[in-house]
Amino acid sequence: MLVGHQVSLEELVNEYEGDEIYLQKVIDLATKYASIRRIRPDGNCFFRGFGYAYLEHLCKHRDEFEQFLVSTENNKERLLGLNYPEFTVEDITDGFGNVAAIANSGSKGIPELHRVFNDQASSDYVVSYLRLVVSAQLREQEGFYKNFMENGKTVEEFCQTVVEPMNKESDHIHITALSAALNVAIRVRYMDRSSIPGVNAHDFNGNGTNGVPTVHLLYRPGHYDILYPRRPVQGAGWLGVDNTDSSSD
Amino acid sequence: MALKFNRNKHNSKIILDGERWERRLQKELMSLVREPPPGVVVDSDQGENLSLWTINMTGAEGTLYEGEHFTLQFKFSPKYPFDSPEVTFIGPNIPVHPHVYSNGHICLSILTDDWSPALSVQTVCLSIVSMLSSCKEKKRPPDNSFYVKTCNKNPKKTKWWYHDDTV
Repeated sequence: MLVGHQVSLEELVNEYEGDEIYLQKVIDLATKYASIRRIRPDGNCFFRGFGYAYLEHLCKHRDEFEQFLVSTENNKERLLGLNYPEFTVEDITDGFGNVAAIANSGSKGIPELHRVFNDQASSDYVVSYLRLVVSAQLREQEGFYKNFMENGKTVEEFCQTVVEPMNKESDHIHITALSAALNVAIRVRYMDRSSIPGVNAHDFNGNGTNGVPTVHLLYRPGHYDILYPRRPVQGAGWLGVDNTDSSSD
Repeated sequence: MALKFNRNKHNSKIILDGERWERRLQKELMSLVREPPPGVVVDSDQGENLSLWTINMTGAEGTLYEGEHFTLQFKFSPKYPFDSPEVTFIGPNIPVHPHVYSNGHICLSILTDDWSPALSVQTVCLSIVSMLSSCKEKKRPPDNSFYVKTCNKNPKKTKWWYHDDTV
């Protein structure tokens, strides 16, 4: 499977049984999030996870769909304006559009979205489209992004070697650019071996949107999965109060 | 041109008319026949199977390869365009070039590591034309004889030296 089913965070607790550092963080995570959806770790997980979470959001917020279509059309013009080959821009935009159109059928489209995201070709069209959008954003804002290049790479080389090719992993630069290009706020929860208690949130606020993040992702070194926040009303006893008591201070 | 539509086992719902990769290749072929890069000739009849193409190329005027004829072979998998095509020179005349081995394998990063679905047969042809055109001295890669004795038949299985930069 490329995209798994939504499962309770309890699964993560089981995964880290006996691992004190991670267990404590998972328990912290579980106070904020109800469930997780795993993405195949193939180097495309950030893009696939974001694409899924964003389109799922659009299924649930159909009022945003028109605006989304306009921005997709604008992105195509941007890509053509930046001299990406017309043939492939059309092909990739179409491939993405076929999947994105599912969101127009609202919440009842979600099972279909899940099915299509697990069809390798359809799913990869979404990934490659988002990769192109990031590449366009980096090139357009070259003056800004060149400050973050490492090993003497130019922005263009960066795009050609670690943005546009499939299976290349993503970092802050990709996330910043995607959030800005689509104006979608993304919250990434970082979970690693550091001794910092709890899971830090890094917010990527699109073009300065300062609202509730649309997409929540969990980052563990080298990998992203989708997170689903708890409802505003928090269930007090979830996960067993005994465990949380002993591990928090 | 005959297309085989027998691979559609899993997702019949979304794909109605041949697999998407075959439709993309068919469109690429049409556009390449209509507007080939300079010196490139493509026959619109690529046989029964769109997964294997033969492309003819003539060395550009004013370059070391002026007037020479070469043949490129493209092999595509059903994962195209997410998986790169396997591209080799075939036939009696393999260009003598520092990035082309005598068995036809080409050392060009967009054919493996830097391949992206935003590229196409057209952009690969253009890169190869430009690689030949910018050549200053006709010679084989320094490790040619060792490489052709030991390499896999599929050039995509080779860990090319340009990987050193990124790994």
